[in-house]
Amino acid sequence: MFQVISRAARLSRTPLSRSLPAFSTTSQINGRDQLGRHEAPMIDNDVVVASPDEKQQKSVLESTISVPVKVDLTPVSGVPEEHIKPRRVRIYQPPKNAMQSGTNNIHHWEMEFDNRQRWENPLMGWTSTGDPLSNMKVAFRSPEEAIEHCEKNGWSWFLDVPKIEKPVRPKNYGLNFSWNRRTRVSTK
Amino acid sequence: MLRQPLSRALTLSSPVRAAPLAARPYAAQAPPPPEKVEVFIDDKPVHVLPGTTILQAAALVGVEIPRFCYHERLAVAGNCRMCLVEIERSPKPAAACAMPVMKGMRVKTNSDLTKKAREGVMEFLLVNHPLDCPICDQGGECDLQDQSMAFGSDRSRFTDIHFSGKRAVEDKDVGPLIKTIMTRCIHCTRCIRFASEVAGVDDFGTTGRGSDMQVGTYVEKMFLSELSGNIIDLCPVGALTSKPYSFAARPWETRRIDSVDVLDPLGSNIVIATRTNEVLRILPRTNEEINEEWLSDKSRFACDGLKRQRLVTPMMTDSRGNLTPVEWEDAMVAAARALRDCPPGKLLAVAGDLADAESLVALKDLVNRLGSDSTCTEQYFPLDGAGIDLRSSYLCNTKIANVEDADFVLLIGTNTRFEAPLLNARIRKAFIHKDTDVALIGPKVDLTYEYIHVGDSASAVKDLATGSSSHEVMKRLEAAKRPVVILGADQLKTPEGAAILAYTQELALRLQDKLEDKKWKVLNVLQRTASQVAALDIGYQPGVGAALQAGPQVVYLLGADSGVVSRDQLPKGATVIYQGHHGDAGAAIADIVLPGAAYTEKRATYVNAEGRAQQTLVAVTPPGKAREDWKIIRALSEVVGQRLPYDTLDEVRDRLSEISPALVTYGDVQDNNYFAQARSLAQSLQKPVSGKVDVQLKKLEDFFMTDPISRASPTMAKCVQAVIKQKSSKY
Repeated sequence: MFQVISRAARLSRTPLSRSLPAFSTTSQINGRDQLGRHEAPMIDNDVVVASPDEKQQKSVLESTISVPVKVDLTPVSGVPEEHIKPRRVRIYQPPKNAMQSGTNNIHHWEMEFDNRQRWENPLMGWTSTGDPLSNMKVAFRSPEEAIEHCEKNGWSWFLDVPKIEKPVRPKNYGLNFSWNRRTRVSTK
Repeated sequence: MLRQPLSRALTLSSPVRAAPLAARPYAAQAPPPPEKVEVFIDDKPVHVLPGTTILQAAALVGVEIPRFCYHERLAVAGNCRMCLVEIERSPKPAAACAMPVMKGMRVKTNSDLTKKAREGVMEFLLVNHPLDCPICDQGGECDLQDQSMAFGSDRSRFTDIHFSGKRAVEDKDVGPLIKTIMTRCIHCTRCIRFASEVAGVDDFGTTGRGSDMQVGTYVEKMFLSELSGNIIDLCPVGALTSKPYSFAARPWETRRIDSVDVLDPLGSNIVIATRTNEVLRILPRTNEEINEEWLSDKSRFACDGLKRQRLVTPMMTDSRGNLTPVEWEDAMVAAARALRDCPPGKLLAVAGDLADAESLVALKDLVNRLGSDSTCTEQYFPLDGAGIDLRSSYLCNTKIANVEDADFVLLIGTNTRFEAPLLNARIRKAFIHKDTDVALIGPKVDLTYEYIHVGDSASAVKDLATGSSSHEVMKRLEAAKRPVVILGADQLKTPEGAAILAYTQELALRLQDKLEDKKWKVLNVLQRTASQVAALDIGYQPGVGAALQAGPQVVYLLGADSGVVSRDQLPKGATVIYQGHHGDAGAAIADIVLPGAAYTEKRATYVNAEGRAQQTLVAVTPPGKAREDWKIIRALSEVVGQRLPYDTLDEVRDRLSEISPALVTYGDVQDNNYFAQARSLAQSLQKPVSGKVDVQLKKLEDFFMTDPISRASPTMAKCVQAVIKQKSSKY
């Protein structure tokens, strides 16, 4: 009898506890809806039953440690000094490919090392290089992130800001046919 | 019903609304701009000026609408229909590139109707487009390829198993730069619009209609433009591809390095595509302040000259007077001995057209340490009056981008079309879109737009400057609110150069003083070469005439290849050291040759005609034993015993910034001043002038080969031949 009850209880509990997130839709709604529904926040059972000591332990573990000094990864990164000291990183926004009109792949910042010698490998005709950093193109959302990354790694960097800002001038189909402007098209 | 007020309420507090409020102080001064209208692109609100097209409004909120025929720098054509979008409460999809926005318009760029319209357009385009992507040079960077992947249908209804229906068009021959495969053409007409609007050579057009429509030149004809290469970029498919680059590489196997062009004085921004230490092609890089997204043909196609006629090893003359390859050590020791044995006043350094600022400063420091003060450039500039002491007297002070806001342009002795093609494109842009008028003093040349010809006598400049001219241009200049005067540096070489410069300064300053806009600068002196401005900033003396008369014993040529220094001007027994990258006029007269790096092979500073410092980046390594130029001079200084105090590029640039901080503020340009002082110093030079104003580059065939790189380029040689042949043709 007891066995049956406990098995039934286990059966009923297992799927429930496993798919608990699937039942709760509060957090998803919160993230999606800008106005926000005022519902009671979900509280984890562990938090409720935890003792004060455990709570404190947990909060200690969750808090972040801020390191006041400048982070320098050069001693631990393993990059030889010849690839740190004399090299220079260019931080730039990739230019639009002049051959194409799409611009979806250029809205970020990249870093790239100075270019070193390449040669054609006689075996297969592929390109060879002795530069381990030649393919290290890292993408960033903002130049600040890129600068921070470079400073951390001890690379000297320079920022190349593209001059791509220009005022928007409304385009007008009718200008093709205006009778008194030089924009009138002669050939079609 | 419910959504509309909600999103309205949200936009009330959005930053889009807040922006016009912040800009109010400016609005009080200027006439109030037309009120912006609010439209919704995919439910994202955006405020735009009335008359803006849907496509432009969508771009403002980061929604990119696919297009083939639309190009932001060309007129709207509206014929590819790829930009069809659904507009709420509109029965049919509308072409976003030509449709102006209306208040409260709701555009859906991703709806089912839009997707269906795009699929339909793609299907029509692909019916007559050959499936030759594997052998097409555009493959991998083709708008049609990408957009058919993104927006096309996933299955084909094209079942022409008998191969009866595909359209085929005969290829055209439009010259040695552009390869045409006209079957691939989708009739976007971008090339036609570019030719008639930007290049100003109205040769392209369409014939026939429906499926018989063809893009071409009607009669077989070369595309006689200095900007012709841009239609290769503009072509969204592989109908127009680069002839020198054909079948050379795929875009994914090249490495692209952003750099700066040095073959004209503007310093256009470029992307150098390389593979296996070889420059394969050069493409323009957008810089709104210099070249927009165009590039001149010389800058684009002269790159094959970088592989020919190169100096790859140090050389010295042997006992029979022939240059023979030697080791660096021997050449260095010989050069150092010549420099050390030279009496202090008898050493002359001459900088050429393509010298970078780092090597210029290193060479000047070395020469000065050896007790000589004669460092010269090949191009002359009058030293009377203010001379080169004031930066404003040898720069384009208006700045290239501002030229398109000008309302009257006066060109004095310059053919901007060939001396600075992209500046000319700006003037043409102002001519077309702002109704700017242009006047020219000089020989009658084809500037690609109409201009008022004031004659070619230098006294016309004098008459305009003194205000005694009765020509209509005088009245136009005085009435102009933003006039621009551009003087070509060619005029300064003549004996009357100083007077012409003085009169030009007088004219420009007289106009500038009367302007309401006190920030507008009128005076421009257009230099001919990429090195001249940096050399003058560093303190080189312009012109070699006086220095050659002093009878130099040792002449150090830093890429001086324009032939102003020749053997018969030098005393017998003089030693000529040539440092540079091409075997040209300079190396031909040299006793010792030190191989340097070309602009694609070094990180170096160049200052353009408006005084903007920019740097090139290393795309490939110098060939053979060639080295970076400043390093050669630094090494030589050590052998001579006058060690220069810099070991790294950064230290050289520190030295540059000591001379002028403007030399290392890359990408930026400073405003120039002291116009009034230059004008008052030039007062005494306003002597009567009687000569003719002439320009060196008159025709298209003169344009292609002007410097050691383009003279070594077979493509440029072919261009000259093709232009001459075309000129003799009856079309």
